[in-house]
Amino acid sequence: MKRALVIGGTGFIGVNLVDALLAEGVAVRVTTRPSSATLLLRKRNVERVPGSLEEPEALETAMRGCDTVFLAGAYYPRYSLDLTAACEEGVRGVRNACEAALRADVPRFVYTSTIATLGPPPPGRIADERDVLPSMPEDSVYRGAKWAMEHEIEAARAKGLSIVTTLPGGCVGPNDVRIGTNAFLVGVIRGALPWFVDGTVNMVDVGDVARAHVLAAEMPSGSRYAIGGHDLRIRELLERVAQRFGGRVPELELGLEEARERASADERAAAPKRERVPIPREMVDLIGCGQPVSNQRAEQELGLKFTPLDEALDRARAWLARLKLVPNEPRRNDEHA
Amino acid sequence: MSTHEAPTREHVVAMVAKILKVEAAKINGTDRLREDLGMDSLASLELLSCISDELDVDIELDEAMELVTVDDACAFVNRVYREQRQGASGSSS
Repeated sequence: MKRALVIGGTGFIGVNLVDALLAEGVAVRVTTRPSSATLLLRKRNVERVPGSLEEPEALETAMRGCDTVFLAGAYYPRYSLDLTAACEEGVRGVRNACEAALRADVPRFVYTSTIATLGPPPPGRIADERDVLPSMPEDSVYRGAKWAMEHEIEAARAKGLSIVTTLPGGCVGPNDVRIGTNAFLVGVIRGALPWFVDGTVNMVDVGDVARAHVLAAEMPSGSRYAIGGHDLRIRELLERVAQRFGGRVPELELGLEEARERASADERAAAPKRERVPIPREMVDLIGCGQPVSNQRAEQELGLKFTPLDEALDRARAWLARLKLVPNEPRRNDEHA
Repeated sequence: MSTHEAPTREHVVAMVAKILKVEAAKINGTDRLREDLGMDSLASLELLSCISDELDVDIELDEAMELVTVDDACAFVNRVYREQRQGASGSSS
């Protein structure tokens, strides 16, 4: 790989991917929109070009001369309120990027999906990248849109685009500008998380995910890699954060249906002013479909080694402290015992 | 404002207003960016990105995150601009 375009290079996975590419000596180009938070890119040696998933011609121009295109910033529904609209917007963006890549004759396209598109495994083994859901999950806007976008990716592959797909778990770590998955750390450390719903989650250091993308780019078309990281229960994760950094686990534990209703109600109230909610419906859906996921293929074929969870949490907390969202010095709960 | 003119207070306030989608006239110098204006981490980084791109200055994230009020932001932008312009003219002379 000599020159790569990163679409979504100002986002969480994107900035970390830029760093991983630069570390390998790859020349990096990043598409930006007028509203992109470009601050993190200014001190990185990258070429910034205008472009968005709604601008196919600009994408094609940006892709010219690149041997690899990473679509690391596909549509991510902010609220889970309209499945049809989310699917349409998500699929349109993926289609625009894939068609631009076909026109620009891009040799390799790497698409960032999610483990949330995986279904249950057959009896006798845990889930992995082979377990594609046979039909769109219609009870979750996030999962439904991501499933439809992956479906569009497979359609582009059938048209001749050389594609590798990565399926990361919940990423934690630095450069999370929008405070996505890292938000649960803020909630616990500040003692502001109002409730939780228990279930299995897969937590992974965003640096591992970035390295996996770079390594996966060299693999044959059609390859898929689950990068789930560490499987654990939400309760265990929240307790671990509170123990390590201070704060508290919420006392109120909701059942899955009640949590879905509560999160959806919060989003309906927050949407008119584009406000954040304590726990997004998408997060509840992810926990609802949570299952242990095997990293075996990524470990064996890519040689990927996963950062220990505590180290990943430390990196995430340090980033949040830089943004003044948590105290600079963690206060471990065991220090006050 | 053209790209590399010295930033005025009105310009910084206009950028804050644009990021937060509020009227510039409703923003006071003593307003706190987070508590009063509701500027979250993303909006903060959008603002800093906008400032650094328009003025072509590099901003240290950790230093910028210490800013509390709109007045702080205006003073900070002016200081960073002057320092970096002086540094640039000093190194080229």
